[in-house]
Amino acid sequence: MRDVYIIGVGMTDYYYRKSPMSDVSLGQVAVYNALKDAGIKNKQVQSVYTGEMPGLSGSICFGQQVAITLGMGGVPMMNVESACSSSALAVNLAAKDVAAGVTDISMAVGVQNISAHRTSGTAFSPDLNNPEAMQGLTMPGLYSMRARRYMENFGATSEDIALICVKNRRHAMNNPRSQFHDPLTVEQVVNARSISEPLTLLMSCPNVDAGAAVIVATKEKAMQLGTKLIRILASEVTSGIFTNGFRDMTWMEITARGAKEAYEIAGIGPEDIDMVECHDAFAINEFLYSEAMGFCGHGEGVEFLRSGGSDYGGKVVFSPRGGLLSCGHPTGASGAAQIVEMTWQLRNEAGAMQVPDCKTAMTHVTGGGVYGTNNSVCTINILSS
Amino acid sequence: MAEKTTKVDEQKQVIYHPDFFKIPEDGGAPYLVASKCRNCGQLWFPNLRACPECWSDAFDDAPMERAGKLYVYTISNVPQPGLKAPLAFGYVDFPNGIRVGAQIDVPPEQMKDIRIGMDLQVEAGVIREDKDGVKTVSYVFRPVAASKGGK
Ligand SMILES: [Zn+2]
Repeated sequence: MRDVYIIGVGMTDYYYRKSPMSDVSLGQVAVYNALKDAGIKNKQVQSVYTGEMPGLSGSICFGQQVAITLGMGGVPMMNVESACSSSALAVNLAAKDVAAGVTDISMAVGVQNISAHRTSGTAFSPDLNNPEAMQGLTMPGLYSMRARRYMENFGATSEDIALICVKNRRHAMNNPRSQFHDPLTVEQVVNARSISEPLTLLMSCPNVDAGAAVIVATKEKAMQLGTKLIRILASEVTSGIFTNGFRDMTWMEITARGAKEAYEIAGIGPEDIDMVECHDAFAINEFLYSEAMGFCGHGEGVEFLRSGGSDYGGKVVFSPRGGLLSCGHPTGASGAAQIVEMTWQLRNEAGAMQVPDCKTAMTHVTGGGVYGTNNSVCTINILSS
Repeated sequence: MAEKTTKVDEQKQVIYHPDFFKIPEDGGAPYLVASKCRNCGQLWFPNLRACPECWSDAFDDAPMERAGKLYVYTISNVPQPGLKAPLAFGYVDFPNGIRVGAQIDVPPEQMKDIRIGMDLQVEAGVIREDKDGVKTVSYVFRPVAASKGGK
């Protein structure tokens, strides 16, 4: 297998409430920006993978709608969906093409225009083939139960959970693409209206619209283009394992398994990671995932946060862009958006968000809730400069 | 599994799902049915096409005890489209080692009394109603004391 490098990234802003452009335009802006960033032309891209959730938008052949009128037609284009992981999967597939020698340059695109297709005030839920969804379970409901059990097992409080929101908002205030720039206080977060007890509105990621694109290539192409070499050390995808038993809802089995595999592929450990963009769709997640990824022990997430371990100056910076909590979650686009922002960090181009001396970084995005599993999917990408 | 729901009468009601939720015709208490792999003995709920562990496709019905302990719960204030808030949902751990998630069917004013570890038991209740008024009847959890006398 050949080593794979990121040669170009591009994205739109994270538009809260209403995207100023259509679904296709969100994708085209991201693709245009990524091509420009790479310094290549449309026809140099040899395959295109697009992550978007047609279950939300009703789209058909979405990636082709984005890329064909940009003059990129004639190459393989495939559309991939696995909920919030969709475009992280697209990056994985594009990287595989290059690694396997099928292409020298491939592109991954992620788009979601949630506001154009969705009624506000309703909660995302697994589909009704799932007996728990039939019973009314929603994604906020599932994470609320993880939060309640975490509080029960480890004595964490709502105030502890709110500190994640406060930290990630502080980070987002430096992110020009986020539309959430007002600081948050613990009181505001705890007293916001309840979505699913014990989680409040401000402990849940907002729905936003965005597009993001990532172009990957061989080392030879990357060197010809003169881009700073950002290598994909690991691009790991796994799926949930079904069980009916009494599993511990505070232990994120699929993430722990995925992270272990990703570290092995990359040949590194959590001590080598300088920053993480994690799937903080709900505030409890950062505790759960910092533990599952091995940055601290099970049940030690609160202490890890309170001691500054997951912030600037600590062991690893969690969500320097502001995370899903304070950038918002354009579901199908989030996996690629994390990789775009992580690439800027590794190039030392992240402006006021810059993590000092950022050499190795990780993105993590799960997705879906097929009953009897921790999550349906988990995608982890580790990059290094 | 066959179809997810089956029409039971003319009253615009469906049962979810007759394969794993039984309402005895003699008026006996409703109960859940797990399915036990004939080859490896693993229990599953609900019934599956084949055993995920050993790939055998031979199962025996394993009726479950009605009462279990609440592992965790939430009260949803922003429910799925078409469901009414507040909606309590919880996972109950049953003596056979199976965990089942379902609505905790208590009036909103009693939701504050829901506690991790409390005893809940399986009853029949309406879990959703579509826009044409078709009700889905399925398993719900109610506190053991409050359930005395049945529904
Ligand atoms: Zn078996």
